[in-house]
Amino acid sequence: MIKKKYPKAVNKVSWASCLLKPGRHYLQGNEACIEGALVAGCRVYAGYPITPATEAMEAASRRFPEVGGRFIQMEDEIGSACVLIGASWGGAKALTVTSSPGFSLMQEAISIAIISETPMVIIDIQRPGPGQGYITASQEDVMQARWGHHGEGPIIALAPSSVQEMFEVTIEAFNLSERWRTPVLVMAEETVAHMRESVVIPPLEAIEIINRKKPQDLGISPEAYCPWGHAVVAPMANWGEGYNVNFVGLVHLEDGNVTRYSPEMNRHCIERLQKKIEVDANSTGCLETKFLEDCSHLMVCYGVVSRTAMEAVAEARESRGLKIGYIRLRRLWPFPEKQLRDIVCDVDTVFVPEMNLGMMKHPITEALRDRCRRIVSIPSIGVLHSPDYILSEVYKDI
Amino acid sequence: MKKNDRLEIRIAGFGGQGVVTIGRILGEAFSLYAGKNSVNTQSYGPESRGGACKSEVVVSDGEIHYPNVRKADILVALSQVALDTYLSGLKEGGILLLDPGSVKDVKNQGKYRVYSVPCMELAYELGGVRYQNSVALGALYGLISHMIEESSLLKAISDNVPRNTLEINKEAFKRGMSYDKEKIPKGRE
Amino acid sequence: MLKYLKAEGLMGSRLPTILCPGCGGGQVLNYTLQAVDRLIAKDDIRKEDFLFISGVGCSSRITSHYLNFDSAWTIHGRALAVATGALLANPAFRVIVFTGDGDLAAIGGNHFIHACRRNINVTILCMNNGLYGMTGGQLAPTTEKGVVTTTTPYGNPEKSFDLCKLSETAGAPYVARWTTAHPRQIVRSVMKGIRKKGTAFIEVLSQCPVHKKMSPVAMLKMLKENTIPIGNQSQSGEGKIPVGEFLDIEMPEWNDSYENIVKAARKEDCGLHE
Repeated sequence: MIKKKYPKAVNKVSWASCLLKPGRHYLQGNEACIEGALVAGCRVYAGYPITPATEAMEAASRRFPEVGGRFIQMEDEIGSACVLIGASWGGAKALTVTSSPGFSLMQEAISIAIISETPMVIIDIQRPGPGQGYITASQEDVMQARWGHHGEGPIIALAPSSVQEMFEVTIEAFNLSERWRTPVLVMAEETVAHMRESVVIPPLEAIEIINRKKPQDLGISPEAYCPWGHAVVAPMANWGEGYNVNFVGLVHLEDGNVTRYSPEMNRHCIERLQKKIEVDANSTGCLETKFLEDCSHLMVCYGVVSRTAMEAVAEARESRGLKIGYIRLRRLWPFPEKQLRDIVCDVDTVFVPEMNLGMMKHPITEALRDRCRRIVSIPSIGVLHSPDYILSEVYKDI
Repeated sequence: MKKNDRLEIRIAGFGGQGVVTIGRILGEAFSLYAGKNSVNTQSYGPESRGGACKSEVVVSDGEIHYPNVRKADILVALSQVALDTYLSGLKEGGILLLDPGSVKDVKNQGKYRVYSVPCMELAYELGGVRYQNSVALGALYGLISHMIEESSLLKAISDNVPRNTLEINKEAFKRGMSYDKEKIPKGRE
Repeated sequence: MLKYLKAEGLMGSRLPTILCPGCGGGQVLNYTLQAVDRLIAKDDIRKEDFLFISGVGCSSRITSHYLNFDSAWTIHGRALAVATGALLANPAFRVIVFTGDGDLAAIGGNHFIHACRRNINVTILCMNNGLYGMTGGQLAPTTEKGVVTTTTPYGNPEKSFDLCKLSETAGAPYVARWTTAHPRQIVRSVMKGIRKKGTAFIEVLSQCPVHKKMSPVAMLKMLKENTIPIGNQSQSGEGKIPVGEFLDIEMPEWNDSYENIVKAARKEDCGLHE
């Protein structure tokens, strides 16, 4: 007999129904991303305990069986990431939530997911490093998100800044992964994972859910099927559907043939993926902007740091009349260079507060170098910036 | 309270005193039952018991940007170390709610409005130190009653405690609430 | 068995295989496909439900490139983790994992013991040639003590795994060892393994004529002569490797056990994507 024990920490509403009912809920960030995944149709979770992501995994262990999904605690993070690949090709949407050391372990699996165009979502609740690190907040994996997997191969990485966004961005991550047949990363921080805030869940009919296109939908027979052909994003036949899909982790021809290798075929395969993500998936709508109309300085930020940044920007404008604008990167990768250049004309100083020693400041510099006089990094390690700290750095030079 | 004004509450003590629970219940009460926005964060050492522990609740009618306390309006100090660490983060004229059973020495008392409620002692009277966080919540209620109703806090408490201890926790809440009213120590207003 | 091989893809020929002449991998593929063929006929299993998964190595190459089945050529050591994921998504798959001794027991060791412990529904064909073939003949966890390989030029100082004992201790309900010189037995074991609910581990001692620098025929002879079927009373077993079915029991399979959890936990249908 399975004995049900209700731990005290759980908002009791989540026990009363299968998916959270539309309305206002009070959730921890770690819980919100699980609820978002369930709404998106995710039904397989694999993970490994790691602070500060463990609450997400524990929430998954309770919630996935409730909706008829499957949960497994694997023996390590490598296994977890590989389960996502198998589950995705078996036809399910799959999720894992980990932290920085586990994220490092998953890089090989991410690499093979990119080349095999496997939809799956990995949420990294970043904590400081390197090494074992500590269990506070950090944004130290944002470069690893793009470049951590071996080999060429683009990826999509989103950056939530609130518990509401942990819910929404997880759904968006699944939609992007299904639409573009790619692994998608959600780069959160310990702050937002452990924080509790209200989450407003809209009526489910109002939430867009995207599922992978299948060759059956397009009338493509097994004999005519090219697993990596037919469209910019190839329709994805899953195992068990009679399509005899050969999943490979090697560069390949459109029908999956890997035996006729040539450098030209290699390059063609890689460039096709590059274009798919860096060009076709590089959409607008990934920047949140404020106070840009008359600004002479700019604050460019992402993740939970953007909340401190917004507080600082509002105060600087109100108390000192400083004309400073605000841009939040909702998506880190593919880096929205064109979108940034389209909206930034000419400013004096661009401030980039990050919970690392300066990582996204590099692509920001590449994008805005000729649009500003200088770029100033505002680093913080292991702790969320306070508004006073950001303001003191801003006022230093202005 | 103006739309974007923030009420900032910090609760601190050592692990096992229910510091995190108090913050969570407060946050839930404000967010779900009092129609406000609130953010609840916490930090603690790795020990399950005994390490320093703090929980913060920021409340506003408007959107809350920075999620942590900048300068606390209310500090709930359940241990001496907590007080020593966080007193300077309490604004002048702010409210200090302390447990005199563990907090003996308050520097610069005159700068703050001090309320003394022996949460641990009252909890022991009811049957155990585990009820001290409900006592503390009751004591705290008196300080925020202009922003939230008693029923909201009680509802949040009942969401977060085992069903069979609900009545004791409600009683603990009432004791904390009424202690504050009856026995504000002289010279500490 | 040619009907099960993709001779031609849309983009050109895939055969002949890349396996060296005389490699045991080709035999294992042949015997496995024979078993699958019989099961499709006898047990009425759908061809679509078969799923072949492999890791990396010579033995893993017999999967994805050539099979006219759903298949996956994954990363080194992780075939069983991918198999776990596939079964979570669809418990109806009949999963066959092709792997080698290095892929399974070195880098894949952790997933191997946990797959056996969980008793996931897979049939593992481990082609054990006692070395790392694809990369040029290095030491493997199954290389016997004293053997010279390219990374043990002075002889191997380590002792080797007994993969069958490892599998049995970890919890697999079906454990067998054969050699490539035991074709009929392999076919029967694979059929039993696929029918078995849970992890079926079949170790096949296999020849690598290139790195052992022997002819395939000589190696097959050696495999036959240096092994002894368990329960064979007629010859002395001194110094010979036992082959046969070491274990064949029934145990609850992981997905079946988890199904009970879902039944107990499941709330009313939420309808969105079911």
